[in-house]
Amino acid sequence: MNPNPQSSDGKHDDDSALSDFLASLMDYTPTIPDELVKHYLAKSGFQCPDVRLIRLVAVATQKFVAEVASDALQHCKARQAAVVKDKRDKQQKDKRLILVMDDLSKSLHEYGVNVKHQEYFADSPSTGIDPASREE
Amino acid sequence: MSNGGVESTRDTRKGEDGPSTSLGRPKADDFGRWVSKIAVAQICESVGYQGFKGSALEALADISIRYLCDLGKNASFHANLAGRTECNLFDITRAIEDLGDSHGFPGASEIGNCLVGSGIVKEIVQFVDTKEEIPFAQPVPKFPIVRNGKLIPSFEHMNEAPPGKHIPSWLPAFPDPHTYNHTPIWNERASDPCADKIEQARQQRKAERALLRLQQRLVRNGSTGTSASLVLDATEAGSNPFLAAPLQQGEKEVSEVVLPAKLSNEVSKGDHISLLDAFAPAIDAMKTGPSDRLDGEKTFLPEKRPSVQFKFKTGKKILGESLDLSLQRKGERSSTFFLRDDERDDKKKRAEFILRQTTEYPMELNQS
Repeated sequence: MNPNPQSSDGKHDDDSALSDFLASLMDYTPTIPDELVKHYLAKSGFQCPDVRLIRLVAVATQKFVAEVASDALQHCKARQAAVVKDKRDKQQKDKRLILVMDDLSKSLHEYGVNVKHQEYFADSPSTGIDPASREE
Repeated sequence: MSNGGVESTRDTRKGEDGPSTSLGRPKADDFGRWVSKIAVAQICESVGYQGFKGSALEALADISIRYLCDLGKNASFHANLAGRTECNLFDITRAIEDLGDSHGFPGASEIGNCLVGSGIVKEIVQFVDTKEEIPFAQPVPKFPIVRNGKLIPSFEHMNEAPPGKHIPSWLPAFPDPHTYNHTPIWNERASDPCADKIEQARQQRKAERALLRLQQRLVRNGSTGTSASLVLDATEAGSNPFLAAPLQQGEKEVSEVVLPAKLSNEVSKGDHISLLDAFAPAIDAMKTGPSDRLDGEKTFLPEKRPSVQFKFKTGKKILGESLDLSLQRKGERSSTFFLRDDERDDKKKRAEFILRQTTEYPMELNQS
């Protein structure tokens, strides 16, 4: 820590900003409900009776999810802009932005999360076998 | 708001698609997962999405739950590191920094910073200021619900003295002695040996009558029409249809045996062909796991059905023995016949057994 008069003022500012922020958190309702956050934090060993900190964790998670989603949205828009084969179809479908596994895995890759999506699922041992050789 | 593709709408998901649509039984964490799915969907909607793929939404919800758990773990780790059990703001700040390290945040490379001025907290402050507030769609009850377990009453509670000085009275009581002590059971029924014998004899006669009826029914249905020349005297044919005179050729309608072209050259020499040879093609057709003997055997179908020599063995009446109906063979093993027998159901086995009994002891049959 630098024993700087400027930084000490800065620290005061930071302190006040932080305490203001924590106070404002009580008014702000995060999208992720408090009970859910409390449940999962209790599962992982987090103990804190302070509601503001619960809200802080909720907001941090919300920020993370929003960032991932916005990155995926960028990928989706880029994909739609690149593929302009049939103008008629694309114009109608362009309005709908759908969250797909491809975009999600691309955006999560930047965060260090590797998500691989199954191409298809085989629901029985004989799926995909030539029907002539399949036993009946 | 509707979703495209294979998804369902956000609001109906919580109520309708419960554990019934998902595979397997409902798990303990299902409620939390459903709630987080709705929350994540709301966040995505605020970002600008208009629809989700079901799998993508599930994956994102799963990742957000993991992020939450990781935050908690990290925060509690830092609190424990500092010698505390309860987390405070700085623990959380450090945890968020740890998780955000891979992506980067302002001030990540600086060391010795005061956590109050941490860049990541400032980012969160910015986020809160800019983003509009989106409360959760529905009220969430407090979960998980804690149920009070039913405890076994203690010795004190039962007003019992513990059976030993080493057992304190606040421990759960022992179960009642009748649950683990074996007491003898007295048969209350009065036994009448005479009536018992009569009852036993009656049941035996009933069983014999049933078996006889079964045999008669089998005989009626089971005759295949093959010409069988019997060694036994025709006079004994009165009660037993198996001992009746054989049918002449043409007396009864028999389906013609279709002879494959390549096999028609080989004709059977003589009439006495074992039952095994006659049924060998049928055995092959049924794919009953051919034995090595079958593979080497010449299989040919004669035009006229061969006569089958039945020789009834006298001797021990064991069920296994009765299966061997002593077909006349040319020194061949009867493995395939046993194979066929294995396929027969128990009724036929019993029928043969009864047959044996009736032929050897015709007197008993007349009695019932």
